[in-house]
Amino acid sequence: MKNAIETENLTKVYKNFTAVNSLNLEIPDKTIFGMLGPNGAGKTTTIKMLTCLIQPTSGRATVGGYDVLKNPDEVRRLLGMVPQQVSLYKDLTVMENSQLCADYYGINPDERDSRIEDLMELVDIKYAKDKRISQLSGGQKQKASLVASLVHRPKILFLDEPTIGLDPTTKRTLWDLIRELNDNGHTIILCSHDMHEVDMLCDNVGIINTGNLVAYDTPQGLKDSLLESNKKEMAEALSQISAENEVSTSTKEDVENLALRKMSFLLESNDESIIDSLKANESVKSISIAHNGRVNLRIDYFDDNAVNDVLKTVVNSNGIIKSVSTEEPSLEDVFIKSTSEVNEDDRA
Amino acid sequence: MIELKKFGWMIRKELISLKRHPPRLISILAFPIIMILLFGYGMGGDMTDLPIVVVSQSHGDLTDLTLDTIKSTETYHVVEVIDDQDKAESMVDKGEVKAAIILPDDYDDENSTNQKAVTLYLDSSDQMASQILDSSTQAIFSRLSNMVASGSVTAINQNSTATPSISHQFNNFKDDISLHINRIYGNIKYIDFLVPAVLGMTVMMSCMMGMGATIAGERETGELARLFMTPTSVSTVIGGKIAAKLLIELVRALILIFMAIILFNVSIKGGILQTFIVLVIGALCFVGFGIMLSARTQTQEDYAQIVMPFSMPMMFVSGVFYPIETMPWILQKLAYIFPLTYLNDAMRGIMLKGQTLGDVWLDLAVLLGFTVLFFIIGVKRFNRDV
Repeated sequence: MKNAIETENLTKVYKNFTAVNSLNLEIPDKTIFGMLGPNGAGKTTTIKMLTCLIQPTSGRATVGGYDVLKNPDEVRRLLGMVPQQVSLYKDLTVMENSQLCADYYGINPDERDSRIEDLMELVDIKYAKDKRISQLSGGQKQKASLVASLVHRPKILFLDEPTIGLDPTTKRTLWDLIRELNDNGHTIILCSHDMHEVDMLCDNVGIINTGNLVAYDTPQGLKDSLLESNKKEMAEALSQISAENEVSTSTKEDVENLALRKMSFLLESNDESIIDSLKANESVKSISIAHNGRVNLRIDYFDDNAVNDVLKTVVNSNGIIKSVSTEEPSLEDVFIKSTSEVNEDDRA
Repeated sequence: MIELKKFGWMIRKELISLKRHPPRLISILAFPIIMILLFGYGMGGDMTDLPIVVVSQSHGDLTDLTLDTIKSTETYHVVEVIDDQDKAESMVDKGEVKAAIILPDDYDDENSTNQKAVTLYLDSSDQMASQILDSSTQAIFSRLSNMVASGSVTAINQNSTATPSISHQFNNFKDDISLHINRIYGNIKYIDFLVPAVLGMTVMMSCMMGMGATIAGERETGELARLFMTPTSVSTVIGGKIAAKLLIELVRALILIFMAIILFNVSIKGGILQTFIVLVIGALCFVGFGIMLSARTQTQEDYAQIVMPFSMPMMFVSGVFYPIETMPWILQKLAYIFPLTYLNDAMRGIMLKGQTLGDVWLDLAVLLGFTVLFFIIGVKRFNRDV
């Protein structure tokens, strides 16, 4: 699979600080890529370089095979951008704004309006085409912005916080739309602080911190590797503590508690026989029942079979499980972990 | 062709905005009218009809002549003629009138050898009015005193009707001394001096302010970013903005010119077309100035801060209200680096002196030089970074 975007030691230095530091990034064609990073990490600067708004200090970047320095206009033709701030002319209607954009991209006048109408149908904003931007709701504005950004059929679409401030229903509509665009062959680069959104939509996620790519994988891959690294860290901490005999009993308990993992389920009925057999299970370190009847357990962090054991016990005791959840690292955990590590390195 | 379309969109966008915001349209059109009214009536007009009271304590030909002369002078509006001096003074004190002209009780007494001491009881807190009242009252009484001395007043006694003889006597008097003033550009009022420069200043203000609003404002709200992400050069984007701005400015300049003609009967000796061309060059120059200043300004607020130190001094130093020669030398030198000085000079040349574009070529060359300089710096400094 070829790459829609490639950067090689891409660097941007402002007067006294390096915003992007030798960034090497590959975004495969026709995928949805989530670009994450704390505020001021260099995401915006990277996007500005990729969209030819600013020039890199050193390194190179290609978009759809075109170099951003050598062929900026080709790059611009391939790119669409839906900025966080709806940057359409407020006094113009949705239709007029789209026409303006189409003409700035040099779209053939014969097919301009039909293309716009098709897009409006796709994002479902046609009913408001003669409304001024200033008269639209937040969600409608985003849709109008999408139409204007898609009018030149960009192969690569940047979406910067596209659903920020939108209600859950509108958010979902936009997510569906993003998937649909991706199915139609658009490569999508999504910048967002909404981890759930990124987790759900993206094929790959890159986390940028202090101008560097600090993590890159599929969302599940990132979470799995965090789980592994957490286990490793905890094992190290535990072995260190057991080596130090002087440590007080209370500290030891604290650490051992950390090495437990939460698990909970809801049963059709909390029969005593089930609870008793759970208590007898070696994997279960503690058990409590919440006021709504949910059974909360703590199980051994390091025992890979613990979840399986618990479920088997319940099923064998004729319990009927209505829902079950276990504590897993979220993408947010991955984000916090990978951005804090670098920050600590920086401080060192 | 495509570039032309892009230009067209910027103009269309501005016009649509105006059409959909009638208050904005009205304020754009009203601004030049308000300016010209303000400066025309507020600063350019003559002071007439200042309210006064006259205290007359005697009767006779000289008193009649004096009262008639005062009443027929445009400067005064005689509210009342009374014989109570205290009452007149209190009227001035209360601010009901600007002055009291008090004729002494022996004013008409031909036998009196005393000097006839007329008092002007003047509200000197109103500096402008008091100066005018002071000088015109002095003029009237020195004229009257001359007439008395030459025996003209006695001659009045022999005439049955007073009024014609007064004018007759006046004519006699005028014949005695005559001063011929040769005004080479005709009789120019202050408003005539003011209007060309007010035109220039209005164009300067709205071009500089307006350019910031469109460029820094659109940078702030992101519309500019969208344009810069399209395969379009900086100069096309900026060019479109200039075209739109220029169009609106020129319509306003025309309104300004016509309002000046209609309201103040301002004469444009060099013709409207030439005036218009000079204004176009001036507008271009200030739009360039605005672009240069807004090239790296990120917000509209920043722009407003940046433009003030340029526009305010330019307004006062470039000879809009007073001739440059009356200013301290340092300001005179400063005036020569402000483009508005050259625009004002060219505008006055064409409108007042009836010069042609060729006559004011130096002013125009300097303006165009500034324009080119501003544009080069502006476009060079301009970055797509938004």
